[in-house]
Amino acid sequence: MTDIEIVEKLRRDLGPAALEVANPDRRRIFLKVAPGSLTAAARLLRDSYDCAYLATITGLDKGETFELLYHFASTEANINVRTEVPRTAPHIASITPVIPGAILYERELQDMFGLVVDGIPDARPLVLPDGWPAEDHPLRKDWKFQRPAEIIPGGKS
Amino acid sequence: MLNKLVRWSRIKSPWILHLNSGACNACDIEIVAALTPRFDVERLGVLLKATPRHADVIIASGPVTRQIKDRIVRIYDQVPDPKFVIAVGACAMSGCVYRGAYNIEGGIDQVIPVDVYVPGCPARPDAIVDAVVKLLGKL
Amino acid sequence: MKFQIPIGPQHPALKEPISLRMTVEGEVIRDADIRLGYNHRGVEKLAEEKNWVQNIYLTERICGICSHSHSTCYVQGVEKLMEITPPRRGLYLRYLVSELERVHSHLLWLGVAGHEAGFDSFFMYTWRDREIVMDLLEMISGNRVHYAMNCLGGVRRDIDEAQKAKILEGVATLRKRSEYYFRIGASEPSFVARIAGVGLLSKELAVKLCAVGPTARASSITRDVRKEDPCAVYDELDFAVGTADSCDVLGRVVVRVQELLESYKLIEQMIHKLPDGDIAVKAPRKAKAGEVVSRYEAPRGENLHYIKSNGTDKPERLKVRAPTLANYPATVEMLRNGFIADIPLIFAAIDPCICCAERTVTLVNFRSGEETIVPLSDLRRQAAERRTNAPAKRNAVWPF
Repeated sequence: MTDIEIVEKLRRDLGPAALEVANPDRRRIFLKVAPGSLTAAARLLRDSYDCAYLATITGLDKGETFELLYHFASTEANINVRTEVPRTAPHIASITPVIPGAILYERELQDMFGLVVDGIPDARPLVLPDGWPAEDHPLRKDWKFQRPAEIIPGGKS
Repeated sequence: MLNKLVRWSRIKSPWILHLNSGACNACDIEIVAALTPRFDVERLGVLLKATPRHADVIIASGPVTRQIKDRIVRIYDQVPDPKFVIAVGACAMSGCVYRGAYNIEGGIDQVIPVDVYVPGCPARPDAIVDAVVKLLGKL
Repeated sequence: MKFQIPIGPQHPALKEPISLRMTVEGEVIRDADIRLGYNHRGVEKLAEEKNWVQNIYLTERICGICSHSHSTCYVQGVEKLMEITPPRRGLYLRYLVSELERVHSHLLWLGVAGHEAGFDSFFMYTWRDREIVMDLLEMISGNRVHYAMNCLGGVRRDIDEAQKAKILEGVATLRKRSEYYFRIGASEPSFVARIAGVGLLSKELAVKLCAVGPTARASSITRDVRKEDPCAVYDELDFAVGTADSCDVLGRVVVRVQELLESYKLIEQMIHKLPDGDIAVKAPRKAKAGEVVSRYEAPRGENLHYIKSNGTDKPERLKVRAPTLANYPATVEMLRNGFIADIPLIFAAIDPCICCAERTVTLVNFRSGEETIVPLSDLRRQAAERRTNAPAKRNAVWPF
């Protein structure tokens, strides 16, 4: 299917759930949905669009909201599903019932942004060290790191 | 008499332990490449060992991540005296491009005392062999 | 009776420090758990404070073995944001270095696989041949690793006729030497018997767990980003995608050997078809606001960079997904119901971006909590003994 055909089919299949569908470049489609319809959209993509492969989940701190991008890829196009959750209620449903391979990416989201993924099978931190304070989330825009002073052995500090 | 024999064997055949403290692996591949037929550091008697308890020299690379900091100190304590540390690569010296990151301490010398620094990103295998020879000359 | 064995963070089979905890029953692994974070350097946060050009050097240093593929993926994306198109010669040179990097990475991996399977002379042969490729890369770019060939808008260095001849000569020598690797099934049947049937990953599981790269291609999933998302050079060149259907470590070796052959073909085609012209165009300091998803096929699998710009000279968000991370859930499945002695081989078969360092395994007795340390070389020797006494697998076939 060409890009135009995929866009048309998405609009037909999702109806009002597809808030925005964009095709800015060859083979790149960006689809926006509300957080509640995310799992249904993932299931649709897996079953009818040959997108069983989820590449990764990107999080972005936009100030008032967190924007999440789920990058799916089939042999014909890359379909990226966008959704936004408010900063005051950072909850999103897990898509591991549909795509089991998403578990590591969801754990990383929890670490880096402090999002809570509901229904995640394994909620341990993924990349942050043991003993990291639980309220520090590195990829939030308002978190800045203060580097402690370095001691140079045998030299001036 | 026995001391002279021990010192001679330590210089003629140092056994090394390779430590990767969170690096990008370029320096580690160059360290392993130093063992291959082209550079062949084994002709100097150097042997790569599995366990800290058998090693004389620790070859460390990588900027130290917070998670691995305690493990490095523990491994350093397990190596029997006298021990020497070679820090390979710009990351092990001062952190290279990662300076200022939230999970990085800086160079290896923020955690354990270092004897020889080998600059480069990554350090060439010739430079690593040169470092081992210079260290043996100091003994 | 179940034991828990932690492996790592310092380990002979692992290049990067990661920690695996295995729950074992006798010699069979029942469950595995992976603890990441020893190598987490906060690159995504660092990238927000550096400008577009400085980030080329930062993304290069995400991995030491596939450094050019990370840098290429990033530069492809930023060039789309800045709406500049590099000249054809620049593109050909960029992907020529990529294919040379693929050759060096697969030779490195073949050596590591041989070392883990107990075949140390194979390790020495492949790494000696790898030095030919390192010399070629040094001739082109000045450094053995971290070539810094990419710049926004093209490449930084050009090659002349003498260098082109040297590259063709190097590839011809490698092809002759690789004949030995291709015949290895016939000349060393014990190597093939050692790796067949180890680390099984069925096709359905590989699809469900989103595996990438040669790990997925060995389970008959024929997907390669160079064919799906060709970046203006690959759709003019003729090459095939390597696959195997045995779903085990033997299949992964076969896939990588096939990819080596294809890369030699690609390098020769690129040298013969190299167009004339400039190697780079000038890039602006700021990028227009927008977002881009950039994918590239690194030697280990698919590399994905998502870049978002807000019109300044620094990125707003850079998200990097390296291929080895995508293969971790698949690795856990592969380790289930395998033997302890196969752990280094299975883990090495996904080609983790990790370097060799000799380490040991700590066995924790589940009930009493006492610890015994077992060197991995002992485990390897036990495995070799067990294999010599067991009958060779009858259905292990080397396809060349």
